[in-house]
Amino acid sequence: MMAAPSSPPARGAQRAVALVAAVASSLLLLFLAVPIGKLIGAGGLDGVRQLFSDGELRQALGLTAFTATAATLLGVLGGTPLAWLLARRDFHGRAVLAAVLDLPLLIPHPVAGIALLLLLGRESAVGGALLAAGLRVVGTPLGIIAAMLFVAAPLFISGAREAFARVEPRYEAVARTLGDSPLRAFLRITLPMSRRGLIASAVVMWARAVSEFGAIVVLTYNPKVASVLSYDRFTSFGLREALPVAAVLAVLALIPLIALRTLRGADDGART
Amino acid sequence: MIDCRALSARHGSFRLADVSFVVPAGKYGVVIGPAGSGKTTLLETIAGIVPQTSGALWLHGCDVTSVVPEARGIGLVYQHAFLFPHLSVARNIAYGAASPEVAEQVARRFGADVLTGRPVRALSGGERQLVALARAFARRPGVVLLDEPFSALDPRRRTIVRREVRALHREWGLTTLQVTHDFTEAGLLGDVAILLDEGRALQSGTPEEVFRRPASSYIAEFLGAENVLAGTARVLEERAPDWLEGEPAPLTPSVPSVPPVPQVPPAPSAHGYRAMEFTSGSLTLYVVGDFPAGAGYAVIRAEEIVLSLVPPDGSARNRFRGIVSELATLGALTRVTVDVGGVPLAASLTTRSAKELGLTEGTAVTASFKATGVHLC
Repeated sequence: MMAAPSSPPARGAQRAVALVAAVASSLLLLFLAVPIGKLIGAGGLDGVRQLFSDGELRQALGLTAFTATAATLLGVLGGTPLAWLLARRDFHGRAVLAAVLDLPLLIPHPVAGIALLLLLGRESAVGGALLAAGLRVVGTPLGIIAAMLFVAAPLFISGAREAFARVEPRYEAVARTLGDSPLRAFLRITLPMSRRGLIASAVVMWARAVSEFGAIVVLTYNPKVASVLSYDRFTSFGLREALPVAAVLAVLALIPLIALRTLRGADDGART
Repeated sequence: MIDCRALSARHGSFRLADVSFVVPAGKYGVVIGPAGSGKTTLLETIAGIVPQTSGALWLHGCDVTSVVPEARGIGLVYQHAFLFPHLSVARNIAYGAASPEVAEQVARRFGADVLTGRPVRALSGGERQLVALARAFARRPGVVLLDEPFSALDPRRRTIVRREVRALHREWGLTTLQVTHDFTEAGLLGDVAILLDEGRALQSGTPEEVFRRPASSYIAEFLGAENVLAGTARVLEERAPDWLEGEPAPLTPSVPSVPPVPQVPPAPSAHGYRAMEFTSGSLTLYVVGDFPAGAGYAVIRAEEIVLSLVPPDGSARNRFRGIVSELATLGALTRVTVDVGGVPLAASLTTRSAKELGLTEGTAVTASFKATGVHLC
């Protein structure tokens, strides 16, 4: 039986819904993209120029890149087994574990910083023990790494979990029947097959770590990472001084994401 | 040998419950059953991929219930092949191979050697199955588990590959268990057939036994038995009927019967059987069987029924006059439904025979079949 053609009023209603959706989407897109574009446009060139003349900015950027990379490596190291566990194993408390891992994404980041301060501050048992072992966390790059790890690792775990879940477990099953231990099957089959998803998740984590401010500022104001420097210049000297730093930071966070999208696009093209 | 003893397993919400059967060493087992009956889960449980919840599993005479998959000495081929996409075809085949020579040998035998230069993503479904077969056999396992491994192959290639699998099975003395939906394949390949439904093994035995002597009307209907009649059985004679001895000679086919999918088993010995009568509606059938008196089902395969325009001279005990009510031609075969006093009986004969008899709807015919051709369950 053929479907009855839609009546003119119904078609009109469809058009109206489509128009509203298009306008709403366009406005949101502009709202998201324009400030970043304007920031880079207004401060980008100055920022590049300042890279050569401003030692503090260079230092902050270097520290940001270093701490974000260290936090990402730690996140990948500890997060990969957790993500695999969540993707592959059905166990009591899995939902609770997943919720706990999402918690840092939901709480305000200064609150995350305060929570970390409670755990790692010199007054706490852990912080005291670390201090006794010669590791001062608060007010050092270690504090920055801890803050970045706390707020950004859940993004990696979530992405890695999805990447593992996309690999059909029967690939591992076949590898097991072909003589692989579970670890060997993971290393030879699951890991390479989920590689793209894992790299993408790590890049997202890195970018998130680079842009972190709230938790870092509580744990380690000095030495300054780029986000703290940008805030510091804004509060001390105003928008004009803060603009180049903010623009360079925005570019720094965008570069890996753009590279990732480009790689994905090339990969999709290669598959067709 | 594959020896499942009350094997139970759970895979998500699906349960495999108390599955017991034996595929002797060097034999070829086939698992048949409707979709969702647990065939793949059974193979995965034997492979150790899905953990057992109870029961015991013996492979090659060893209890492997708590042995990890990589130490069970099995090869597993899934219907969807699951070739490792990040490896080349050659590296897939060599993945767990006993030696590079064996990998090369099986690749050649399955015709996968010509595919080694191509990326896995570029292979068709059938080509993937060839590579998956080569990969599993290259390991030289003692037990091979095959989950519809020929389903993506074209008919010609399927015949060749099936023959090759059977040849390797024989040459290497493998014990094989294959899931199939194809009853012809089950009859051609299988030494042992296991019928699975809703996670339970309903019946196991030789394919002939399972096809000829289904344990229930459900199994009979699932296996495609065309005539499953509900009714009541009555014992005519407790001892072996004297008219059984007159039956083993084949019927003089006024219409050549179509060979059944599995080979017809030899006529059962009179020993242990009784002469019985089975009444279903207006039909009363003579049966030789060991079924207890009472309500049950009579199963008559369409190829057991011979049609003739006049009553035949043969020894068939069951003869019924009826009217052809339906003809369905499927290439070389024609399915003829005969209305016998309101009871439809389906017979299968060659299209050529149907034409020679001049069968059309309304033609009066005699449908005859032997008492041993009726199975009660």
